Amino acid sequence: MSTKSIGAEYLKGLWDENPVFRQLLGMCPTLAVTGTVITGLAMGLATTFVLIFSSLVVSSIKKLIPAQVRIASYIVVIASFVTIADQFLKAYFYPISKAMGPYVPLIVVNCIILGRQEAFASKNSAGRSLIDALGMSSGFILALLVLSTIREILGAGTFLGYQIMGAWFKPWTIMILPAGAFLTLGVLLGIALAIERKTMRN
Amino acid sequence: MSLSSRMIIVLTTVGLISGGFLAGVAQLTKERISLNIQKEIEEAIVEVIPGTTQNKKLYQEEDFTIYSGQDESGSTTGYAVQATGIGFQDKITLMFGIDDSLKRITRITIIDQKETPGLGAKITDWNAFLQFWEDRDASGQLTLRKPPAGSLEDLLPSEINTITGATISSQKVLEIVNLSLEKLKKIISEGKIAVEGHDVN
Amino acid sequence: MELVAIFISAVLVQNFVLFYFLGICPFLGVSKKIDSAFSMGLAVTFVMSITAVVSWLINNLILIPYSLEYLQIVSFILVIASLVQLVEMFIRKISPPLYQALGIYLPLITTNCAIMGLALIASLNEYGFVETVIFGFGSGLGFTLAIILMAGIREQLDLADVPEPLKGAGIALIVAGIMALAFNGFIGMLT
Repeated sequence: MSTKSIGAEYLKGLWDENPVFRQLLGMCPTLAVTGTVITGLAMGLATTFVLIFSSLVVSSIKKLIPAQVRIASYIVVIASFVTIADQFLKAYFYPISKAMGPYVPLIVVNCIILGRQEAFASKNSAGRSLIDALGMSSGFILALLVLSTIREILGAGTFLGYQIMGAWFKPWTIMILPAGAFLTLGVLLGIALAIERKTMRN
Repeated sequence: MSLSSRMIIVLTTVGLISGGFLAGVAQLTKERISLNIQKEIEEAIVEVIPGTTQNKKLYQEEDFTIYSGQDESGSTTGYAVQATGIGFQDKITLMFGIDDSLKRITRITIIDQKETPGLGAKITDWNAFLQFWEDRDASGQLTLRKPPAGSLEDLLPSEINTITGATISSQKVLEIVNLSLEKLKKIISEGKIAVEGHDVN
Repeated sequence: MELVAIFISAVLVQNFVLFYFLGICPFLGVSKKIDSAFSMGLAVTFVMSITAVVSWLINNLILIPYSLEYLQIVSFILVIASLVQLVEMFIRKISPPLYQALGIYLPLITTNCAIMGLALIASLNEYGFVETVIFGFGSGLGFTLAIILMAGIREQLDLADVPEPLKGAGIALIVAGIMALAFNGFIGMLT
């Protein structure tokens, strides 16, 4: 049972336990849909939806589920909310859904979500689990926004589709390619660790 | 109650509740989703045959569909051909409009593509590629202009401009259109679809 | 020879790790030594090939005929979870040392995006039965190829002077980026 204050419970997801930069989870979607800010944002919001509702449901029914079948149960819960998110996007945001391809259904195997159910929601109250889910989601969205902003601005000269770099700028096409995603995330991880070490030394 | 029974009951309940819930959501969104797909095609048809307000599907086979377009008064504005073929990276789905003389391509639009971002993907860009497809001579086969001409006026009526750095993607689009033109003419000459008095030779 | 094209595409041109970004967790976690990388690759290829078959069957014999496509995500992931459980028990029985070597990564194959991704992409591309099997097997091999290459490079990197903050995941991702660039060269191979 966690004993942190509400504020700390939320904030840990942003930096100390940031799912992407510190826990190294959920990297598949982080690399795949951050070519543009709009898809990165859509992924972040979809994952947030799944994480929040899965955590709420799991922490509410945790006492009813025998330990042996908990993973299977969590998976069914998570998969259901992912399906809902996918259907919703297809119905109301069709172009974005097409741009994201198979990666919305892939939220079901985003280690962040199953990880939080196992590590937190199954051991804490619904209220706390909600705060934890919000914190982790915020951290995830933060990571997605940082990565996609860098990739879109440097790779296409645009932000959210709006041209922001002048004609003098020749886009670094590699940024939109898979290679660019790997390289950028690698460098960002290095920077995150370097900052961490510095603050630890002080 | 034994552990095994409890496990089975819990799993079945969770499964049934989720299943039921999802069935409900699917019902709610089903119509909208199929409407979205339909809308995409309709918008493409209107885009490639200027002046069209309605359309009719004339012919369909795998990866190849022919539509006819009409304006408000019901007279034919032209035909739209939707075709899918192999691109450089993956499949490309496009639609081109052809006027009712079947000798002139009005416009094309790319519906689906997974070409290299920043390079091949420029086939969806009006300035880089699509504008050069306006008003092309389709009585024969179309050809690629390499190196690209400066403007639309510099091109021959049956030529398309290549995208610098994306020659192959440009070529693939051309191949799909040429093949589709052949198919279209063959289908009409075989009388498979009714096209107002056409001698396609 | 469309089947050959699908196979080569899965292994090289649209490599699951370097193009589709699937399987990154095990890619970063188990690629430190060539032996464990090879074993992981084999296990994943095995699970992927079987998943390809089962997911195609479920999709085409149950989901589509009864208009239950919306149950795709739930049914696929449940199938994968069960398959991994079976493979785990199987490996434990026939080769305990292998089981030890793979450790926690074996159950983690369930959340390996590569397996789920395989089922989803094969379904999206509407592959037939044989095509799906070839695609599954090829993707597994592609994953294995990527993970072994990565392990080979990392074994050498261990002896190099990597800046502290980049050690581990950071440098692995940068190496993956360079590998992705190299594999980019395979595009157009089949045209």
